[in-house]
Amino acid sequence: MLYSTRSKLIASFLGVSLLVGAVSLFIGGQLLYKAVFSEATNRIRLDLNAAREIYLTRINSVKVSLNITTLGDEFRLELKRYDAPKLVNRLRRMAQHAELDFAGIVTGEGKTLCRIGTNPVPIEESQPVNPIANLALKRGVPVSGTVVLSREFLSAENPDLANRARIQLVPTRRAAPREAKEEASGMALAAAIPVLDGDDLLGVLYGGILLNRSTTMVDRVRDTVFQQEIYKGRSIGTATIFFNDLRISTNVLTPDGNRAIGTRVSREVKEQVLTEGKMWTDRAFVVSDWYITAYEPLVDIFGERVGMLYVGVLEAKYADMRGKALTVLVLIIMAGMALAIGLGYLLADKIMSPVRRLIKASQRVSEGNLSPQIGPISKDEIGVLQNTFKDMIVSLEERDKRRREESENRLLQSEKQASIGRLAAGVAHEINNPLTGILTFTRLLLRRRDIEDKSRSYLQKIAESTVRVRKIVKGLLDFSRQTELDREPTELNRLVGSTISLMENQALVRGVGIAFEPGENLPVVTLDRGQFQGVLINIIINALDATETGGNITVSTGISLSASDTGRKGVEISIADTGCGIPPEDLDKLFDPFFTTKEVGEGTGLGLAVSYGIVQRHGGTIRVQSEVGRGSAFTIWLPVEELSERRKNTGC
Amino acid sequence: MKILVVDDEDIVLESCQAVLELAGFEVLLVPSADKALEAMKGNEFSLLLVDVKMPKRDGMYLMRKVKEQWPDIPILVMSGYYTTETIKEAIKMGAATFIAKPFEPDELVETIHQIIKREEHHGKKEGPRN
Ligand SMILES: Nc1ncnc2c1ncn2[C@@H]1O[C@H](COP(=O)(O)OP(=O)(O)O)[C@@H](O)[C@H]1O
Ligand SMILES: [Mg+2]
Repeated sequence: MLYSTRSKLIASFLGVSLLVGAVSLFIGGQLLYKAVFSEATNRIRLDLNAAREIYLTRINSVKVSLNITTLGDEFRLELKRYDAPKLVNRLRRMAQHAELDFAGIVTGEGKTLCRIGTNPVPIEESQPVNPIANLALKRGVPVSGTVVLSREFLSAENPDLANRARIQLVPTRRAAPREAKEEASGMALAAAIPVLDGDDLLGVLYGGILLNRSTTMVDRVRDTVFQQEIYKGRSIGTATIFFNDLRISTNVLTPDGNRAIGTRVSREVKEQVLTEGKMWTDRAFVVSDWYITAYEPLVDIFGERVGMLYVGVLEAKYADMRGKALTVLVLIIMAGMALAIGLGYLLADKIMSPVRRLIKASQRVSEGNLSPQIGPISKDEIGVLQNTFKDMIVSLEERDKRRREESENRLLQSEKQASIGRLAAGVAHEINNPLTGILTFTRLLLRRRDIEDKSRSYLQKIAESTVRVRKIVKGLLDFSRQTELDREPTELNRLVGSTISLMENQALVRGVGIAFEPGENLPVVTLDRGQFQGVLINIIINALDATETGGNITVSTGISLSASDTGRKGVEISIADTGCGIPPEDLDKLFDPFFTTKEVGEGTGLGLAVSYGIVQRHGGTIRVQSEVGRGSAFTIWLPVEELSERRKNTGC
Repeated sequence: MKILVVDDEDIVLESCQAVLELAGFEVLLVPSADKALEAMKGNEFSLLLVDVKMPKRDGMYLMRKVKEQWPDIPILVMSGYYTTETIKEAIKMGAATFIAKPFEPDELVETIHQIIKREEHHGKKEGPRN
């Protein structure tokens, strides 16, 4: 039982810590994830800015190299003279320096003069003019930026470039459907600078870098922005340049470790970035892993959205960070739970030890030991319990003592009665025979006429004394009579009523009023009518003796619960008078045989003793309340057997 | 009329004799149940006055014997120590009534007169039948 209290306590502690733990784990996990995620997306946005900056810088560097070339005087001369071979050499040097993939010159008339490709000169008419050069020619100002070059243009520049640009499409999950099997066009960073001589346009110098399969730029982004951070053997940061939705330059790797060129972006990203022209920052599934990503559109020199720039960091790093944090949280919760168990154990012990002592104590009490040890009194509610327990023991003890005294009293009373009874029996027999002689011969002597007055009065005294002795002996006999009760079902009100009628004459003579207040619906009681009537007569005579002329006696009956016998059902007969009352010191002695306050010859002191015996043999009690000068009330209580009550109920 | 008084104490016998003779009865006194039965054989009594408590054979025994042989003779039972039970038993065994010792002389005479009157009344009724 104690252990179960302890385990209950521990269980509730555990329950609370588990609940709190679970909630904090859930909320903490969620918050943590949000925090980490928003931190990561903020960072990736910045990273994308940096990547764009690198991209633009590269365009700018192309433009600057071209610009520097156009400023040279020799270049101008050669251009004026259309000295193609020299120009090609010059361009080749420039391209090598500036790491350009293609470069060329278009004349003011719009014809390609020379290129750095495999067949630099002569240029056939049919070969198209590079679109960026065309734009610069048309506008007459320098143009730089992203440009899409179809296969036709690329082969014109250099067939090797066309080959490099060709990319097989790799089927990709979640990508938008696309019919073509390969991409032949290329995307390039390029610039075109018009060369002026006064107001004359001598031509346009153009050049650029093909982005298809190029690694330099994306790797630079990765190395500068993500500082070559490695996570579980993989570079954490990735960058990609998309041509349309196709990866043409990337350091995102496929599971087999190759660059994921030819794979495509998911349809959602394509729609948001390419179609709607918005930025995308979110977690996204890239090729084969989850990344936290940022995409933005790349717009070409004509203002068309032709591709996308992407950076992304492996989500795994953040997920693991979160995982680690959650692990710590779980550890804390587990520590909390262990603490709860320990605390619960100790607390249960602390709470239960006084309770356990109380339980032991109450076991002792139930075994009859009324002064058990209950240990030190606690200062909390348990202390209240302990004190209450102590009080309870004290009152138990008192009750015990009272009961013992009561039963001792009763025993004493009946022992007294028994011994007096035996004495009375013997005495009565021995005394009554000589008394018969005394009374008879005294009476016979008194009949004679020849007796002088003095002797007559002596004889009279002998007769009176004898009658008195007879009365005492009769009282003793009554008292000693331990006869079986001759019980009959009796209507109490009728018995009491008839007894009062018997006494009415005497009351009248003494000028004392006697009234009967019968209770209603009394159950039938089984009692020895003769003996019980004797009891009533005795008590009423006592009341008459105690009451002066003009006083009153009230007899009443009613249903009542026993005062001593734990609420047993019974009936009560109360005889109350307005007489002299009984002094408190006499109350204890009232029922003792031979206790009387009446004059010698008047009282025997046996009436109440006999009455007490009779009522006791009926299973009842007599109670006395009295106040000197105001009167007394004698209350007889008799138990009612359930059986007789039931009989009465069914009879109705 | 002749009355047989049975008691183990002389003073009671003498008291009864004094009272009853004064009242005009003829009296025979015996100290025990056995003596009483003996006396019964030679005499005819109108009434028996019997004490209950006697040494050896008591009044109850005597009453039983008398009722067997002389069922018509009325018996008055007296005692100095009695209970309701003993009175009831005596009446049941055929005692006419009971008188407690010590009694007033007049009380005894009156009681006996009443019993005899009742018996006579009885006898008259039964007489013609015999
Ligand atoms: N109603 C009463 N009022 C005052 N005293 C009473 C009353 N009843 C009884 N007593 C007292 O109790 C005593 C004992 O009564 P009891 O045993 O009947 O003996 P007795 O009546 O012979 O004296 C009486 O002497 C009297 O002092
Ligand atoms: Mg009295």
